[in-house]
Amino acid sequence: MFNMKAIRPFLCLNAPFLPAQQLAASIIDVATTRGVNKHKLLRGTGIFSEDLIQGKTLRAEQVLALMARAQTHTAGNDCAFQVGRRLFPGNYGYLSNALLHCTHFGEALRLLTRFKMQICPFIFATRFDDDKQLYLGLQDSLGCGDQWQFILEIYCTALVSASKLLLGQRIPFHFDFPFARPKHIQEYEENLGYRLGFSQPQLRIRVDKEWLNKPFIQQSQNLKRHSIYQAQQQQTYQHGFLDAVRLALVNAPQSNLQQVATLFQTSPATFKRKLKQHGQSFQQIHDEQRRQQAILLLNVQGLNNEQSAQRMDFDDVPNFRRAVKRWTGLTPSQLRGV
Amino acid sequence: MNYSLAFRHHHLISVVMALILLACSLSFGLGVLKTSAEISWLDVIGEGSISLFTLMWIAFLLLSRPPGKVTTALIWGLALMMFSALLDVFDEFVHHAAEVDWLSMIESIPATFGITILSYGLYQWHLEQLALNKQLQRRESLARDHSQIDVITQLYTADYMRNRIAQQLLDNDHHDFSVVMLDIDDFDSFNRQHGHQEGDRILKDVANVILMNIRANDLACRYAGDRFILLLPQTSQNTANDIAQHIRHSLQHLAFKAPASNQPIYQSLTYAADEFRPGDQIDSLIQRINRRLDQRKSLIVNV
Repeated sequence: MFNMKAIRPFLCLNAPFLPAQQLAASIIDVATTRGVNKHKLLRGTGIFSEDLIQGKTLRAEQVLALMARAQTHTAGNDCAFQVGRRLFPGNYGYLSNALLHCTHFGEALRLLTRFKMQICPFIFATRFDDDKQLYLGLQDSLGCGDQWQFILEIYCTALVSASKLLLGQRIPFHFDFPFARPKHIQEYEENLGYRLGFSQPQLRIRVDKEWLNKPFIQQSQNLKRHSIYQAQQQQTYQHGFLDAVRLALVNAPQSNLQQVATLFQTSPATFKRKLKQHGQSFQQIHDEQRRQQAILLLNVQGLNNEQSAQRMDFDDVPNFRRAVKRWTGLTPSQLRGV
Repeated sequence: MNYSLAFRHHHLISVVMALILLACSLSFGLGVLKTSAEISWLDVIGEGSISLFTLMWIAFLLLSRPPGKVTTALIWGLALMMFSALLDVFDEFVHHAAEVDWLSMIESIPATFGITILSYGLYQWHLEQLALNKQLQRRESLARDHSQIDVITQLYTADYMRNRIAQQLLDNDHHDFSVVMLDIDDFDSFNRQHGHQEGDRILKDVANVILMNIRANDLACRYAGDRFILLLPQTSQNTANDIAQHIRHSLQHLAFKAPASNQPIYQSLTYAADEFRPGDQIDSLIQRINRRLDQRKSLIVNV
C-alpha cells in the first residue's frame, strides 16, 4: 500500500462557492457598460440580478458560462483585461486589506497562496526558485476549458495592476503563455507589459527575486493580522478538485486510477466521471504532471539528461528523451535552452 | 436589437399601414374570391415574395435611419412599390367584375411613381453619405468596417489602425508618415477615485480632444486601455511631436467634471512619436514607439 495523505476539502465545478458580488459582478459591469443587454448576458447561466444584490454564492460552472457569454457578446478584446483591472482591491474585502498592509511582495505572495481559493479559485500556482528568479507555474484547478485564456487574462492583469497599487510601480513580471501570440497583442502589452512569451512549453509567471523584498507603501502588521484573522473565518476549501488529484499524484507518483479513487473515497467509475466533468482524464493529468516535472528538472533546475531521467524513475536515457519529446514537443536539450 | 429609432417614424409607419389596408380593401372589397383550384400558387409565391421582401427592406430602413428627408423618400418609394406588388398578389385570389377592370389597368402605376421617388431618395442618400464621410474624417480613412469600432470612444480599434498602417507600407510613394502614441497619466488612480464609468466618460472626452487637434487627413484610433494611436500621413517626426504637444496642451485645459461636483479635474498625457524608417514593419514601428512611451512614463512616476 502506498503512502496515504488525507485529502483536504476541495472545490468542484458544481458546488456553490463564488460570491456573486465579486468576479461575476465585475464581468457583468464591464459587459453592460460596453452596451451588452444584461438579460441577454445572464441567459442560460442560472445567475439572476438579485443574486448580485443578495451576494449569493455561485457555482464555478455558472461563472464560466457567464464568461463565455460575456466574451461572445462584448465587442472588442479587452473585456477580460478590464475585469482584471477592477478585481483588486474592490472585490476581496478583508483579504484586500491583508494584502494592502503586507510588508513586501514576497509576503503578499505567501498570502495569495494561502488564500488562493478566495482570491482565484480557477488557477493553481506552484512556486519554484532558482538563484535569480522566482517561477510560478500555473495550472487549471477546476477544468476551465475554453475559458482558460480568458481567466488567465483576467488574473494576470489583476496581478500586475495590484502590484502597481501596492508598490507604487509596476513589477516587471515575465509571462510565458502556452498559446500562440494572440491578434489582440496590444491588450497584453498595455496590461501586462512587454515581457511576454507565447507558444512556450510551460505556462508560468517569472519575476526577478530582488522584487520580493521591495517594501509596500501601506504596510502595517496589526491591520494585516486582523484582516487575516477575519479572512480565515471564511476559509472553507483548500484547493480545486484537479489540484487535489495532482497533489495526490505528487505524493505518490506511481499510483493508478484505482488507488487515487480509493484515496478520494469513491469508486473508480465515479471518480472517472468526476474527472470527466472537470474536462480531464486520469491519464491526461498523469502525463501533465510528468511533463511539468520534466520541465522543472531540465529547464528551471538545468539538470542533465541522466540526472533528470533518474529522478523521474526512467530506466534509460533514450526512453526519457522520447517521453520528453512526446510531452513537450521539444528534445531535452532544446528544453534546457528555452 | 435596438428599436428606439422605429418609434420616431409614426408618420411613415401609418403611411405603410394605410397602403397595405388600401390594397386589401381594393382587391377583396371589389372582387369575388376564386376557388382554390383556380389559384396559381406559383404566381402567388413569386409575386408574394416581392411584396414580402419590400416590406422587410422598409422595416430595416425604419429601424436604422433617423427621420429626415432621405428616409421619407426611401420609405415612400418602397411603400408604393410594395402597394403595386400587393395588388398583384391579391389579384391571384379574386375575380374582378368588368366594371372594376380599371383596377388591374392602374395597378402598376404606383410602382412607377415608387421607383422614381426611390431613385430620388437614393441620390439624396449618396449626397448624405458624402457629408457623413466628411464628418467621419479623422476617425476613418479609406476603408469602413463597423465591426472594428470601439464602443467606448467610437474611434476605430488597434486592428483597424494596423490595417491602415499596412496600407501605407504597401504604398511605396507614401513612406513619409509618422505614428504617435498617447497615454493618459495616472488613469488607474482616476478610475479608483471616480469609478470606471467616469473613466469611460473621460476616455470619450480625450478622444474628442484628440480629434479636434489633428488635421483632416490624420487618423486617430484607440489602441488599448487608455492608450491612443495616431497615423499622420506625410508628416515628419518633428511635426508629429508638435501635434502631440498641441493635444497635450489642449487636454491640460479640459475641465472634466465628475457628477455632482463642480470641481474640475485636469488630466495630462504622455506621448511618443516617431516617423517611418526604412525596413520598418508594423509591429517593429509600433513597438519602438510603445517602448519609448513607457520609458517616458516611468520617468514621470519616478520624479
